[in-house]
Amino acid sequence: MAFKQEVNMTNKFRCPQQEHQISRRRWLGTTAGTTVASWGLGGLIQPSVAESLRRDHKQVLFIWIDGGMSQLESWDPKPNTEFGGPFRSIPTSLPGVYISELLPQTAQIMHKLAVVRSLCTQDNSHSAGVGRIQRGDPKDRGVTYPYFGSAVANLLGPGESALPAYVWVKPGSGGFKHQDAGFLGPQYGALAFGDGQAPSNLSRPEAFDALDDQARNRLREAANRRYAQNRRRKVTDANTYVFDTAQTLMERSDLFDQSTFTRQELQRYGEHDLGRHMLVGRRMLEAGVRFVKVNSYGWDTHGDNFNGHASLMPRFDQAFSAIVRDLSERGMLENVLVIAMSEFGRTPRINGHIGRDHWPEAWSLAMAGCGLQSGVVAGATNPLGTWVKSEEYDIGHMFHTWFHALGIDARHREYVINGQPLPIAHEDCHAIKELLI
Amino acid sequence: MKCLLVFVLRDKCRYLLAWFFLSLALSSAQLLLPAAFSQGPIAVRIDELIHQRADGTLSPLASDEAFLRRIYLDLVGRIPTLAETREFLTRRSPQRRAQVVDALLASDEYPLRMAQLFDVMLNERRGEHVEWRGFLRQAFKENRPWDRITREILNPDVTQNISRGAAFFYTGRLKRYGQVPADVPGLVRDIGRMFLGVDVQCAQCHDHLFIDDYAQVDYQGLLAFVGNTYIRTDHPFPAVAEKQLTEKVQFASVFDGEQKKTGPRLPGGVEFDVPKFEPGEEFLVPPDKKKKTLGVRKFSTLRILAAELPRSDNRGFARNIVNRLWWVMMGRGLVDPLDLHHPDNPPSHPELLETLTDAMIAHQFDIKWFLRELALSGTYQRSSQLPGGFSDGQILLPQSYRVALERPLSAEQLLQSTLTATGVEQSWSIDPTGAKAGQDQSTIAAKEEQQQEWIKLFQAAFANPPKEPEIEIAPSVRAALFLMNDTTFLGWFESRPGNLVHRLAALDGDRLVAEELYLTVLTRRPSTDEILEVHTYLAADPAERTKRLGYLAWALVTSTEFCVNH
Repeated sequence: MAFKQEVNMTNKFRCPQQEHQISRRRWLGTTAGTTVASWGLGGLIQPSVAESLRRDHKQVLFIWIDGGMSQLESWDPKPNTEFGGPFRSIPTSLPGVYISELLPQTAQIMHKLAVVRSLCTQDNSHSAGVGRIQRGDPKDRGVTYPYFGSAVANLLGPGESALPAYVWVKPGSGGFKHQDAGFLGPQYGALAFGDGQAPSNLSRPEAFDALDDQARNRLREAANRRYAQNRRRKVTDANTYVFDTAQTLMERSDLFDQSTFTRQELQRYGEHDLGRHMLVGRRMLEAGVRFVKVNSYGWDTHGDNFNGHASLMPRFDQAFSAIVRDLSERGMLENVLVIAMSEFGRTPRINGHIGRDHWPEAWSLAMAGCGLQSGVVAGATNPLGTWVKSEEYDIGHMFHTWFHALGIDARHREYVINGQPLPIAHEDCHAIKELLI
Repeated sequence: MKCLLVFVLRDKCRYLLAWFFLSLALSSAQLLLPAAFSQGPIAVRIDELIHQRADGTLSPLASDEAFLRRIYLDLVGRIPTLAETREFLTRRSPQRRAQVVDALLASDEYPLRMAQLFDVMLNERRGEHVEWRGFLRQAFKENRPWDRITREILNPDVTQNISRGAAFFYTGRLKRYGQVPADVPGLVRDIGRMFLGVDVQCAQCHDHLFIDDYAQVDYQGLLAFVGNTYIRTDHPFPAVAEKQLTEKVQFASVFDGEQKKTGPRLPGGVEFDVPKFEPGEEFLVPPDKKKKTLGVRKFSTLRILAAELPRSDNRGFARNIVNRLWWVMMGRGLVDPLDLHHPDNPPSHPELLETLTDAMIAHQFDIKWFLRELALSGTYQRSSQLPGGFSDGQILLPQSYRVALERPLSAEQLLQSTLTATGVEQSWSIDPTGAKAGQDQSTIAAKEEQQQEWIKLFQAAFANPPKEPEIEIAPSVRAALFLMNDTTFLGWFESRPGNLVHRLAALDGDRLVAEELYLTVLTRRPSTDEILEVHTYLAADPAERTKRLGYLAWALVTSTEFCVNH
């Protein structure tokens, strides 16, 4: 019996494979996704203008709330209902729009945000869901799609900063996460800074001055050019990229110096991991990094959901509202697309452990900035918060919306991998018009 | 040809005579294919079948230098030393490539390299254990057949000192880390992946959605073999035991919820019964608390697994090892990915895979023999430079094997090659059995400790995280920062008695410097341009000559040419 239990228990936790990407539509044999939107995208982006896009330097701040933030304790509260939980809702700077009382500071900047309350996605396990959501859950074509960060790194390039295009500020360990890149190839992976700290070996030993360093690297580069003659370029290109990036990072070690944050900044963002990491993220954006992911862990509140959110939400509220304000005040919000989301929401039903479980059927996310309307709430759930009552938006819709906000035409732009054209977002989904400028 | 050789070895006079005729006969063949003489029938067949499907020009054979570097990296896990390269390049025998293959396969370093290769392949950086390493080293030292190695892994025996470390394959996966439970699904998955070339993980909760061949029962049937395995804590070495499987595994598809059952069953195979025993009747040899033995069960799923999976009539088992060893030597599996063998993912060369599988079975899963056949094929020995008339933009499918594929070096291969190139440590590694001539035990222990430190350093910079297969070349910023800034590594390019830079500094003339440098680090002679570059760079500041020699050596060791197996 113990044996069977173990089987069941482990079943719940396994399936981390990226291959585990199948649209539920496929096995249900229906087309829940609606047809491609018929409205035009003003000013179609041709590949030929990709260069000018790069110059515009649009950026992304992707705040990943790992484990599943409860929509009921954040963007879509249902106080005084069966599943509403103990928290009240409060009015926001947007007339008529209420959010959870756990987001008091965010409530004051609601007029800068764009919130979606009608997400309905496909996977309720973390292991598959995280990848699935961040890869945009495209139609399965037997290939591993890139995470959104890798996709943007590829489609918009690193920009002029020469810093890595996709960095990830996270608690715990850092390193190079080439898996994020999927079929785009390892150079589009994420460079993760564990606890916002500099990667190992960032500083040049004192024995080398800048000229020495330049001299030895020139010799190395010359050797690589000779090797690349008569060979496929892929390996040499990837190698060149990582060395170039490493050198740029070495020059920008100031980005990792957390001692230069002011007292005031720390107080505004919060003297906790998420606050400090968000500050590091702001610095990365200011330095020109194309895509910055900031990670918060520990949101999987199967037990004691309400105390959990009571302790987690204020940190998010503080750091999120601070960075949106700062980006806005610095005039950066126009070019920085801010997204805060999880891999799914949490069940309206409160389980026996006073927790909420995984609920991809009806949940919310928040955005701000580049290409988006400000002060808009799209979609709605039913009064109990159990199901979406407006049009359901899958992650594919969000990918279309984000790409459009960044000036990338997801209906025409494709990846071409080994001669195979691959849509950059699910072709059965479309951008959410009411969110876009 | 074999007969002839045996014959001539018996008689010196005849030997000389035969050699004369042999040389005569072969001198013309040598121009075409130096390896041809010593190719076995399988090596010949490989080339025929690759040529048949090449659909275009093939690159010529690699130079002797390029071949030497490649075969050293593959069979002993490091580049050749300067002395080894110089000696090889003086050889004129048409058999010289076969000679070096045979010498490396017979060397003490071969089992060490194989142990590392199979550790990374089978355990995917799930940690290390001295008993596991010892098991692998001993197995490859004896050239144990793959079916026997597999049996020893799948049903490890605590009473067998020479193989008990094999249990680390299980214990490494069944170990709990804090809140993280034993990775039973990972174990089931890896038995499929490593020994059968099938990844049934996605068939855990339902039949595989895109691979018709992988059914949920394939996963659950494998689970029935190993799901009742647990770690024994009464031994200092890795050891497992199993609880009695008393009933079939129950499962249901998440789609239709239909309840099903299976006993132990290999994917696509027959189901084994789960017998019922009266209490106390389960044992052939009952457990003995005084002797701390667990007894021998009448029904052991691990025993059945070990008996049934690695069988010569289990085609999937044989195909898997053939495909994996082909990948080791050629850079891409005939079936790619390595763990997705199924009818809708056919091999690039079906007939070749079947031929090799038949041959592997006929040779009783002799890995050494198989590697030798691959190494002697023209396909293995092809140049990694594009065939004539090719520009970069053109499509050249890797599965055509028209050009040798560039392959990643493991952290261990890179370390040993760097040590060899820089002259920091002349001996490749420590002989696990201890006494090497002229080394006392404390020196050996100190060296082993030093090596372990360096290996950790290189693993941190170059190895993948646990559970990430190391299949492809994946340069990383982390590795680049290491190569540019790690002080231990950079210290190897400072002049110290006996090391490369010290030797270079003692040489008279920049041409000699360039030749010694290139032959040592890149296992080839420098081009005229490269000699000129060395000269120009050194002559620009004679006062800094030693420092500049260090930079020249560093630049080559950190170059793409050094960091990949090409």
